[in-house]
Amino acid sequence: MTQKETFSEAPSLAKVFVRAALAGKKSGSTLPASELVLTDHKVDRQHLMDYQRLCGFGVDDVLPHTYPHILGFPLQAELMARSSFPLPLAGLVHTENTITVRRTLNADDVLDIAVHAEDLREHPKGRLVDLVTEATVDGESVWSGRSTYIARGKGNPDAERGAEAPPVPQGIAAAQWSLPGDLGRQYAAVSGDVNPIHMHPLTAKAMGFPKAIAHGMWTSARTLAALGRSVNGPSTSNVWFKKPVLLPSKVDFVVDRSQALTVAGLRATRKPETEHLVLTLETAH
Amino acid sequence: MTTASPRRAAILGGNRIPFARQFGPYANASNQDMFTAALEGLVARYGLAGERLGEVVGGAVIKHARDFNLTREAVLGSSLAPETTAYDVQQACGTGLENAILVSNKIKLGQIESGIAGGVDTASDAPIMVTEKLRRKLLKINRQKTTVDMAKSALAIRPGDIGIETPANTEPRTGLSMGEHMAITAKKWGITREAQDELAALSHQNLAKAYDNGFFDDLMTSYLGLAKDQNLRADSTVEKLAKLKPVFGKGEGATMTAGNSTPLTDGASAVLLGSEEWAAEHNLTVQAYLVDGEVAAVDYVHGDEGLLMAPAYAVPRLLARQGLSLQDFDYYEIHEAFASTVLSTMKAWEDEEFCTQRLGLEKPLGSIDRSKLNVNGSSLAAGHPFAATGGRIVASLAKMLHEKGPGSRGLISICAAGGQGVVAILEGA
Amino acid sequence: MAFNYGQFVSGGIGKQLATTLGLPRPTKLRRHKVGGSLIPGEVLVAGHGEAPVAERVRHLLSDAGVKVATSPSTSVAGVVLDLTAVETPADLETLRGVVGPALKTLAPTGRVIVIGRPPESATSVAQAAARRAVEGIVRSIGKEMRGGGTANTVLVAEGADAGVDATVRFLLSGRSAYVSAQVFHVAKPVGDVAAPADWDKPLAGKVAVVTGAARGIGAAIADTLARDGATIIAVDMPQAGGPLAEVANRLGGTALQLDVTAEDAGAKIVEHAQARHGGFDIVVHNAGITRDKLLANTEADRWDSVLQVNLLSILRMNEALIPAINDGGHIVNVSSIAGIAGNRGQTNYAASKAGVIGMTQSLAADKAVLKKGITVNAVAPGFIETEMTAKVPFATREVGRLMNSLSQGGQPVDVAETIGFFAWDANRAVTGNTVRVCGQMLMGA
Repeated sequence: MTQKETFSEAPSLAKVFVRAALAGKKSGSTLPASELVLTDHKVDRQHLMDYQRLCGFGVDDVLPHTYPHILGFPLQAELMARSSFPLPLAGLVHTENTITVRRTLNADDVLDIAVHAEDLREHPKGRLVDLVTEATVDGESVWSGRSTYIARGKGNPDAERGAEAPPVPQGIAAAQWSLPGDLGRQYAAVSGDVNPIHMHPLTAKAMGFPKAIAHGMWTSARTLAALGRSVNGPSTSNVWFKKPVLLPSKVDFVVDRSQALTVAGLRATRKPETEHLVLTLETAH
Repeated sequence: MTTASPRRAAILGGNRIPFARQFGPYANASNQDMFTAALEGLVARYGLAGERLGEVVGGAVIKHARDFNLTREAVLGSSLAPETTAYDVQQACGTGLENAILVSNKIKLGQIESGIAGGVDTASDAPIMVTEKLRRKLLKINRQKTTVDMAKSALAIRPGDIGIETPANTEPRTGLSMGEHMAITAKKWGITREAQDELAALSHQNLAKAYDNGFFDDLMTSYLGLAKDQNLRADSTVEKLAKLKPVFGKGEGATMTAGNSTPLTDGASAVLLGSEEWAAEHNLTVQAYLVDGEVAAVDYVHGDEGLLMAPAYAVPRLLARQGLSLQDFDYYEIHEAFASTVLSTMKAWEDEEFCTQRLGLEKPLGSIDRSKLNVNGSSLAAGHPFAATGGRIVASLAKMLHEKGPGSRGLISICAAGGQGVVAILEGA
Repeated sequence: MAFNYGQFVSGGIGKQLATTLGLPRPTKLRRHKVGGSLIPGEVLVAGHGEAPVAERVRHLLSDAGVKVATSPSTSVAGVVLDLTAVETPADLETLRGVVGPALKTLAPTGRVIVIGRPPESATSVAQAAARRAVEGIVRSIGKEMRGGGTANTVLVAEGADAGVDATVRFLLSGRSAYVSAQVFHVAKPVGDVAAPADWDKPLAGKVAVVTGAARGIGAAIADTLARDGATIIAVDMPQAGGPLAEVANRLGGTALQLDVTAEDAGAKIVEHAQARHGGFDIVVHNAGITRDKLLANTEADRWDSVLQVNLLSILRMNEALIPAINDGGHIVNVSSIAGIAGNRGQTNYAASKAGVIGMTQSLAADKAVLKKGITVNAVAPGFIETEMTAKVPFATREVGRLMNSLSQGGQPVDVAETIGFFAWDANRAVTGNTVRVCGQMLMGA
């Protein structure tokens, strides 16, 4: 049976990452049956405001499309850092993320955030796992997210690759954003995600990246924010993370609204063939 | 002489977010955030989502450099059609009312069919400036082409240059704060502490009553968890106010306290205006017409006149143009920058010498019926986010005049920094 | 969030466990999608004797592009059986002979609709017995169905066959995903039955007032009615102004801030609707509160506030709304399963929600209301995943999720879809009904 563990406040990510770094080699093919639940979370308006501003959302009473994700992320990390979790936290790369907003959430909604892992599966390049986050308000299921992570390694060439990402829209950029060198630290301050690959060129180098890289969920949130207010209402987004964004850098925001499904992407301004992410957005109206 | 205007400019409604005290719930909300919220509430109330309006005119007195296109940015963040044009105006505390006059003029001329006039200000999220010396030295560093030159210029910075300044409520030409200026005027007109406290208490009581009556149900939209003006003290009394120590003016004669002066506040407001045809097409009820507006300025620098006395000059000019007397109004909205501002202005209009010498009139303008003054509260109770006050007053007065009925009249008087005053006449529909 | 059984048994280890232990595994319900088909499969239509309604249903299906089947198969997704002509319980054999075999192969999220006549108007004792038997059979079928299927009864008054179309459509469609074991009463229409030009926009051109629209079920109702073509007047308390504006702007409607318990609330709605939208066609009385406590500990203000908001305010507002609503309009009230089954600690809430049902029946028969051709109906949500049900203690809540034939809680949209159905102009033959949106909850059956 599922083990339900409740938290009255989110676990500290810094501690989780340290624990993960010290953890031994991981193996196994079963996922922990735990469901970690952050209960009765009251939105901290200051935190909300910082998040809204950093990601380019309007500062108001409405929770951004991606906001519950950062409330659930410490639980995700906590679960993935555990010895019962078969994949190493430090080596996991966020490849895809799906979010469904069932109703507009407001700053005075008291949220319960539940996280569990499921669907450990093979992939041609390693193994995939989904971390599912469900937000409820007084029992009403209001928001769900599914974050897919890959642990690169010996893959199974015959395994399914999953849904193909749509092509990044072509054409001229709708906007060009300069992402500062300390963006990773800024987002870490808000999200708590102090993964060294985001914090500083040196810590990133230690992890095998040439420079610090932007948090995927920041790039996704910033892109969604650029699509207008409707993203915070009932809607579903699917994002595929492609090449990481090295900081500092300039990225082009491209969007195609001609179809029912909005497709948007980010690509490197100086090397447009470098695609960072592509996402689709479906709104209720 | 009265010029017949080609058509009338209608006030169709308004919206504001509740005003918050400095460093209160909106402490970290920017002007753009607050003005967007005010627009969103207005758009929702009048079903304007996706609508292209003639223009949106906003502005803020205290602005960050990044907010050079504040109003346009707020429009783009709102549910209005992105094709709606926008621009910023800054006329100190007169901004909001001046914007309403600008939009109404364009409507009267047939240049636009509809528009939103408003304003926003934050006393919390204020821009920080470096000292003037440091600023010049930094600019010089920035101009240098080589690293060596940059380093040389950088060496010119002295420890004494380093420091930050926030925009102060101080007149650049006199070095006096607005309160200190007002204290001089209050003393000159012999405005008593008791009279000021009485006016302040009434402002709170009137505003509280307006809330109880649901007056603001269709004038306000909650924001960041605040649903009422935070400064409001429903239980305010003259006795309680009498206990406060004076903060402006010196010594024995000091009468101005934190209770009878407006506090620093954050907030935003917006008013929807349109031609009668546009209103009919959009099934919107005309609440009032913006008949005419006037702006006056006084020479406060050389001590000839009080800083906040310009409305005393603007009103008679407006009355003359419209062929009206000061007593021809059902409501008076005199912005309570300080209780003593309202009282000095009214005293001036009653004063024979002032009216004949200064205004060049044959006789005093006379008294106004105090029961018609600021009947739903004013800035002392609600607070005064500088550029947002005009929109607050125009929307509230238009609603009051609509309730009073066609032909009813209201007078708005707003004093502003720099010795300016913006006044306007509204007529009920 | 509490442990969610449905989520647990749908994936991962839970799935394996549930299969091994034979626990019920909830099926993902088929919900309405714009542009989707009425029902994904063929519909088997049969009847006893003359079966006049079956003939209508065949026409309706062919108009909707749905293939009519004559025998059971795996491509059959729905069964419509016309039992209007049964004379004695012996005639029920037709049902066993048709529905029995069909259930074996019925596609997931299937539909069983049995059409009968009201027992009250039977001309013989045997006929009354046979007619009443239908409801019992259908309720049992609902409990036997698997894979997210539903079974419902439609009782059509003599001479009112023409009014049955809308109900059949609704029940076959994904809009009725969480409606099961209900009895729909179809009577002579109160006005002209008008099929919409586009069944994806059945509320096109209509203006709908939704109270309590800033959040929860109210926002879902506003979303759904807007999706179906209605212009929304979103009403809520001034304190909810920010979120209310968001709903109104997202749906391109207007926001109206007021307290529904205020004396002039109805008049203000009318004034707003007439001034801005030239009138209104639909009213959804959704605003509601709970103040739970055992009756022994319930003080007067706790008692009174619930009755004021949930019931008295509706009565008061209707005095202004009914004379003003456009002819042929629709009023929909939100009741609750608590108003039918009762609930511990909710005497005040149950009183208000049961009162809503009484009000609905009485108002539907009111002369002034009938004269204007207005329908008045109510929905009684069962275990819907919302704030209200969450006030129920944990264990009861988990049981609530399971104690229904669909083994899952409903979603706010399910309630909203039924409300939308009551607001169709194609649906003037259903009035005075209270339909439970409860997935055939065991409570209060």
